[in-house]
Amino acid sequence: MISLDCDDLFDTWRQQARWLLSHEVDPSLVSWAAEGVGDLFASDDPVPEGQGPFQARIPRALLDTLEQAARYRGEQRWSLLYEVLWRVSHGDRTAMMAGDKLGSELQRRIKQVSREAHHLHAFVRFIERPKDLPGPQYVAWHEPAHDILHSASEHFIGRMGQHRWLIATPRDGVYYDGEQLIHERQCPIEWQQLAQNVDDPHGDLWLTYYSHIFNPARLNPKVMQGHLPVRFWKNLPEGELIPGLITQARMGKQQNGQASGIADRTGKRITSKNQKQTLTPALSQREREPAEVFSRTAST
Amino acid sequence: MQIIDKLSILADAAKYDASCASSGAPKRSSEGKSGLGSTDGMGICHSYTPDGRCVSLLKILLTNFCLYDCQYCVNRRSSDVPRARFTPEEVVTLTMDFYRRNCVSGLFLSSGIIRSADYTMEQLVRVAKLLREEHEFRGYIHLKTIPEADPALIEEAGRYADRLSVNIELPTDASLQTLAPEKDITSIKQAMNTIYTGVQTVLNEPRSAKFAPAGQSTQLIVGADDTDDSTILHSAQSLYGNFSLRRVYYSAFSPIPDSPKSVPLAAPPLMREHRLYQADFLLRSYGYRADELLKGPGNLALDIDPKLAWALDNREVFPLDLNRADASLIARIPGIGLRTTERLVELRRQRRIRYEDVARMRCVLTKAKPFIITSDYHPQQAEVTSHMLYQQLRDRPMPQQMGLWG
Repeated sequence: MISLDCDDLFDTWRQQARWLLSHEVDPSLVSWAAEGVGDLFASDDPVPEGQGPFQARIPRALLDTLEQAARYRGEQRWSLLYEVLWRVSHGDRTAMMAGDKLGSELQRRIKQVSREAHHLHAFVRFIERPKDLPGPQYVAWHEPAHDILHSASEHFIGRMGQHRWLIATPRDGVYYDGEQLIHERQCPIEWQQLAQNVDDPHGDLWLTYYSHIFNPARLNPKVMQGHLPVRFWKNLPEGELIPGLITQARMGKQQNGQASGIADRTGKRITSKNQKQTLTPALSQREREPAEVFSRTAST
Repeated sequence: MQIIDKLSILADAAKYDASCASSGAPKRSSEGKSGLGSTDGMGICHSYTPDGRCVSLLKILLTNFCLYDCQYCVNRRSSDVPRARFTPEEVVTLTMDFYRRNCVSGLFLSSGIIRSADYTMEQLVRVAKLLREEHEFRGYIHLKTIPEADPALIEEAGRYADRLSVNIELPTDASLQTLAPEKDITSIKQAMNTIYTGVQTVLNEPRSAKFAPAGQSTQLIVGADDTDDSTILHSAQSLYGNFSLRRVYYSAFSPIPDSPKSVPLAAPPLMREHRLYQADFLLRSYGYRADELLKGPGNLALDIDPKLAWALDNREVFPLDLNRADASLIARIPGIGLRTTERLVELRRQRRIRYEDVARMRCVLTKAKPFIITSDYHPQQAEVTSHMLYQQLRDRPMPQQMGLWG
């Protein structure tokens, strides 16, 4: 068995794989070290030296596919890719396809990875730091399940314009300084602290919106959890509202769609003279003063 | 009134509009530019509320003061709800704040009708113009269009907004007259036509200013009147055809506080809304026609999906050999979607399709099984009658506790 370690870097793996393939080393004879875990059954066979004779021809799309799947964190992260590469380079393109056993696992990983990138775009929450401080203007803490931060955070360059922003995670981190994106594989502790200890004095506007756009008469927590997995709740400001809103809806707010805070307020019916006539298109040009239109009626 | 109080009232008033899509916009980016925001055609759902609905845009009314008295609407003039009104600047502030936080991808602004249709429409356009011109906002903007407003205002709206929408709400003229006496179908269709013409005009002129590049949509309320699904789907089909609508949204009537007697007290089953969305998807993406899904008047079945219902009605088409059948027919097999169809066609170019290949593709195999043939599989169920299959495949509702008030 040949044991390799690519430090979870795609380019390193690619060099190693190219080299193994040139010697036609069978996938069953290679393993890659999983992060932090040695292979119990590894017996260090020597790696063949120099470039081997086999000239592999692979479709261009395969490399992109493998690079995407490489962002998946999980068992057999690198050896699965080598197996796919082996089969395709030996003429079996089904190894990339969802109908194949190996291919379907490959496609599943790609799907997980792109879903996780989408989660980053959706669920990152930037908090603005006090103005005039050096460094990032906006900071966010996020916990992605796969190694998507670097590639997926480019999205925010287009979105945030010339603002400076930082996304810290338990592993890596990115900082956009207004001109370029800096990626640190090991997120500096100062970045993590910036992202986790920031005050948000104006956070209540978003929380108000979130509670009021929810329609308690349509309560459906299962569908919600399918789209917004519970693991993200703790880093979303609205996360802590969710259990309360669900309970409240179950306790009887399901009669209609209105939030309870609204029902308690004084209402206002609107009266206007010649109501029907003012509303036909032909007459709607005639402007009326709001005071006349919005005269207050007794509320119940 | 504080902005936060207005926000609570005007978000609560806006929740009955189902649409919250931020997709279909052209590619825009703020990289290296002043201003804020980007779009790339893909929508982003930034959050989900416990009703399972996506929060993609800041969806609010400019005001919930309204001169109209639409019976199904919580903001009708005779409704006893608290009222508020934002200034255009306040809406801009909120949009920019939520956008910087990455809570939304843009704004969906609607409004009650105040003073006149033109005045209201001017206010909506003003917000979009402020965002685009003063704040260089490049995120998504969806503006509700007031049907009776001057076409020139609608055209102006189309220059700032990615999407415009005119809600039909009720699919028949008679229902509109009863429940929404101030609205009329002619002006609604005229407004749709103004938008359609605007979109078509710039379509083949890449250098002209953009006009509502994400097209137009509308909403139909389901269950506020007695219109059946057949009428609704046929209306949707002609809207897609006549005005190239991107989407028709179906909103199950949600009971409102202080409900007038003219509308039902209870909501229609949300499953009815779900089946309409499924059928709508079959119209838009699978090439079904409304009269294939519902042959006569009536509603879609609640316990089986419309694709399965069609297959059970058309057994002579099945079983289909996955190694030979045309892709458009494979897509009509229950439990097999467009993506799986693509993958099957891709795979059969390489080798014969076997049963286990289908099993691996995450389609709904129990539904697909009676309708497919592979190189190593022929369904026993091919001989079983549609009625028996229906009994096997229909959804069985979970037993539910009776409501306290019946």
